Amino acid sequence: MNDTTAGGDVRLVGISKTYGDSFTAVHPLDLTVPQGAFFALLGASGCGKTTTLRLIAGLEDPTTGSVFLGDRDVTGLPPYKRPVNTVFQSYALFPHLSIYENVAFGLRRRGIRSVKKQVGEMLDLVQLGDFASRRPHQLSGGQQQRVAVARALINHPRVLLLDEPLGALDLKLRRQMQLELQRIQTEVGITFVHVTHDQEEAMTMADTVAVMNGGRVEQLGAPAELYENPATTFVANFLGTSNLIAAEVTSVSGGEIAVTAANTRLRLPAARCATVPTAGGKLLVGIRPEKISLSYAGDTDDTDTDTDATATVSDGRNRITGTIAASSFLGVSTQYLIDTPVGPALEVYVQNIERDPRLTPGAPVTVHWSPDHTFGLDAAQDIGAGVATAAGSAGAAS
Amino acid sequence: MTPKAAPKAALKAAPKSLTGWFRRHIVAIAGLLTLAYLILPNIVVMVFSFNKPAGKFNYSWREFSTHAWEDPCGVADMCGSLALSLQIALWSTIGATVLGSMIAFALVRYRFRARGAINSLIFLPMAMPEVVMAASLLTLFLNLGAELGFWTVLIAHTMFCLSFVVVAVKARVLSMDPRLEEAARDLYAGPVQTFLRVTLPIAAPGIAAGALLAFALSFDDFIITNFNSGSTVTFPMFVWGSAQRGTPVQINVIGTAMFALAVLIVVAGQLISGRRKKSAPTG
Amino acid sequence: MTAPAEAPPAPVPPSEPAPMAVRRPPLRRALIPYWLLLPGVLLLLVFFALPLVYQASTSVQTGSLEEGFTVTWHFRTYADALGEYGPQFLRSVLYAGTATALCLLLGYPLAYLIAFKAGRWRHLLLVLVIAPFFTSFLIRTLAWKTILADSGPVVETLGAIGFLDVTGWLGMTDGNRVLATPLAVVTGLTYNFLPFMILPLYTSLERIDPRLHEAAGDLYARPAVVFRRVTFPLSMPGVVSGTLLTFIPASGDYVNAELLGSTDTKMVGNVIQSQFLRVLDYPTAAALSFLLMAIVLIIVTVYIRRAGTEDLV
Repeated sequence: MNDTTAGGDVRLVGISKTYGDSFTAVHPLDLTVPQGAFFALLGASGCGKTTTLRLIAGLEDPTTGSVFLGDRDVTGLPPYKRPVNTVFQSYALFPHLSIYENVAFGLRRRGIRSVKKQVGEMLDLVQLGDFASRRPHQLSGGQQQRVAVARALINHPRVLLLDEPLGALDLKLRRQMQLELQRIQTEVGITFVHVTHDQEEAMTMADTVAVMNGGRVEQLGAPAELYENPATTFVANFLGTSNLIAAEVTSVSGGEIAVTAANTRLRLPAARCATVPTAGGKLLVGIRPEKISLSYAGDTDDTDTDTDATATVSDGRNRITGTIAASSFLGVSTQYLIDTPVGPALEVYVQNIERDPRLTPGAPVTVHWSPDHTFGLDAAQDIGAGVATAAGSAGAAS
Repeated sequence: MTPKAAPKAALKAAPKSLTGWFRRHIVAIAGLLTLAYLILPNIVVMVFSFNKPAGKFNYSWREFSTHAWEDPCGVADMCGSLALSLQIALWSTIGATVLGSMIAFALVRYRFRARGAINSLIFLPMAMPEVVMAASLLTLFLNLGAELGFWTVLIAHTMFCLSFVVVAVKARVLSMDPRLEEAARDLYAGPVQTFLRVTLPIAAPGIAAGALLAFALSFDDFIITNFNSGSTVTFPMFVWGSAQRGTPVQINVIGTAMFALAVLIVVAGQLISGRRKKSAPTG
Repeated sequence: MTAPAEAPPAPVPPSEPAPMAVRRPPLRRALIPYWLLLPGVLLLLVFFALPLVYQASTSVQTGSLEEGFTVTWHFRTYADALGEYGPQFLRSVLYAGTATALCLLLGYPLAYLIAFKAGRWRHLLLVLVIAPFFTSFLIRTLAWKTILADSGPVVETLGAIGFLDVTGWLGMTDGNRVLATPLAVVTGLTYNFLPFMILPLYTSLERIDPRLHEAAGDLYARPAVVFRRVTFPLSMPGVVSGTLLTFIPASGDYVNAELLGSTDTKMVGNVIQSQFLRVLDYPTAAALSFLLMAIVLIIVTVYIRRAGTEDLV
């Protein structure tokens, strides 16, 4: 079972899962996880990410499609015959067995007699060597989590599946375990497939993230790629925060698209547009809050006489005027909500380097940003997709 | 929470009057009185096992004697009926526990048709006065022309203990995380291995509780046995008969001995589990 | 994303179903629950459900032991039985109801004590509640004959404090006797089924978070109000299952009435027992048993509806 000579990648081919006659948890889906990758399935609860994981583990039978491990079709294999192991949500440690026996469980089931050395090494890897004789309930959450990882990894699976493994831990411990899991992954070089609803966790840990929504993969790519170039409004809103502005395309020329929204002219590069825009058509223009600069309105009106260089807005930038509706101080930055003609509550994050005391609620301001930082999305989507789910899951995670 | 809170509250209220003290402890007093009501008959049974009654009935005290303890089987047929009761209780416990656990697992772990009907079938024997079950079972046996005796009693006991086992085991299996079984399957344990290594050990306390209950119910059953035993005499039947003919002191000896034995087992179990908890390292 | 975007590099084995084929779990696995249920359910069907059918049929038969009984749809047996044994039915419901109320009244403080105030004595108290079970209930019921003996200390005390005057006025005792009166039967019933009340009460009380009491106190509720508004409503599941577990067996009991009562305290259980085992009038006995079942089921159903709890056990 440990023959890692063949490709260790996971391939899902046309796989789907329907419960009963009505509820489809996963729509037909093709997905390839390269060998050695740290792959994250990200989405709100009920999006089908856990079902996808369980299909790989063999804990669910797919309604259609196949699961390949390397070149081998494992679709019909029961979980106990698959070279795949899972770290379960809330760990599922056997309460009637000691930590040692929990970790040795998989080896013993495969008929391996002398497990002592391997178990010892594995417990050392997760730094729990002194806890071998304890029962799971005598361990803290973080320790239990590490036992669950050890219990799965000792079998040298082709793929390690992690089902919300950090969901039960507090924030600080979660950060610590994220680093720990990354360390272990680099050390053992096994493919990790990690299911999470925490976008930050997915982005910090994984090298590839698949964002799932409603049983479908919305977008797949490296974290930075997903963040900078979301393909759908759901990804734009679920992964971080986006300001989305509904606009009309006025011209497409060369590499640049010009749009207007509420009589404001905005520009963006055609390369960062997830759809093919045509003049006269609709487009959703997106900009991340941290990419926006904020100036007091009077400072930017007269560019000729103003000596303050930082307050000057160069001609090429997208600019919108508005008033501050609310501000909240977050330590490293301040978050502003700006009411503008193109839409209310435009979000802006400003680094707290030099704070302008005039930027208080009610103050007239100009927001401006580089066209290069702007992205475009198909206007035929729900502009608010992923907003509520992201907020909800963030609340649930804390 | 209260042992610490009580003295504080007492200080604040400055207990001077007896009525005040009484009012504060009324729940404890009422509870302990109830407990006395529950325990009193056991004490009487114990005391009267040392009696030397005047006539055939052991209802009023005459003088202290240990003759019944020296010869507990000195009454004709009593120890035989005791052995028979133990035998029936043992077999019906085994039967009810195996069949009941199977039903409980099926009810919790699988989806299937007729769930509601089966749940009702399990629930109804518990929602019915025993005498109704006993009488209807007797009509069945009479109609079938079955010979009343050991087998009819055994069948009857297994049948009415079954529901109680199902309830006890079901509660335990329900509280068990289904992920544990998935984890076992994930870790190369096949269906049989998963059941033997994970499901069964974790469900064991529920199964043990169900079995104990079944044993107690069967051993002490009178009404159903009364209807379906024919001329077979179990221990409760013997006691019932002796209530008409004369109660030997040995009945009290058996009652007291069983009581003492059971309390001893319970206390020993408590001590052992208490010590295990203390010696275990805490993290 | 509905179709494979690229051809899989490895050829799919021909035995495999096409990627879009719908898979069904194998039949053998789908049958597992039925195999698990089969023996137990069969036992209940043959020895619990079928007997009820036989009993129903017996209740409308006529005939005699010598000539045999035949089904003649003689429904008058029911009317006759109810007419003749009405008082016994009434007594069964009355005694069982009184015993249930007494069990609740006596059992609640003890369950409360164990759940909230016993501290390290909790386990000992629980053992003491269960302990009586370890002695045969017939032996323990006989012990009440000693305890309630005429001119014994218990009866003398009850007489001295005027308790017997009150129960005499209620028609539960007669003069200075307790044995062979309704009071003795109710005392025995209450005693016998008290643990069945205490244990479910304790279970549901024990689940209540003590912080709820503190929160109620924090929100200006006096102890009595805390009990009425918080503790008691939360213990309702225990109250419901406790009263059912007490009432149902008490209503069909004939042991207490036989051992502690007199001919004037016979309950319907006594009648069924003697009709079946001594008089051998099977149709009447079956009709009585069926009526008892119907009455209990109606009372239980109405009670559950009103209490609004479906999960009893």
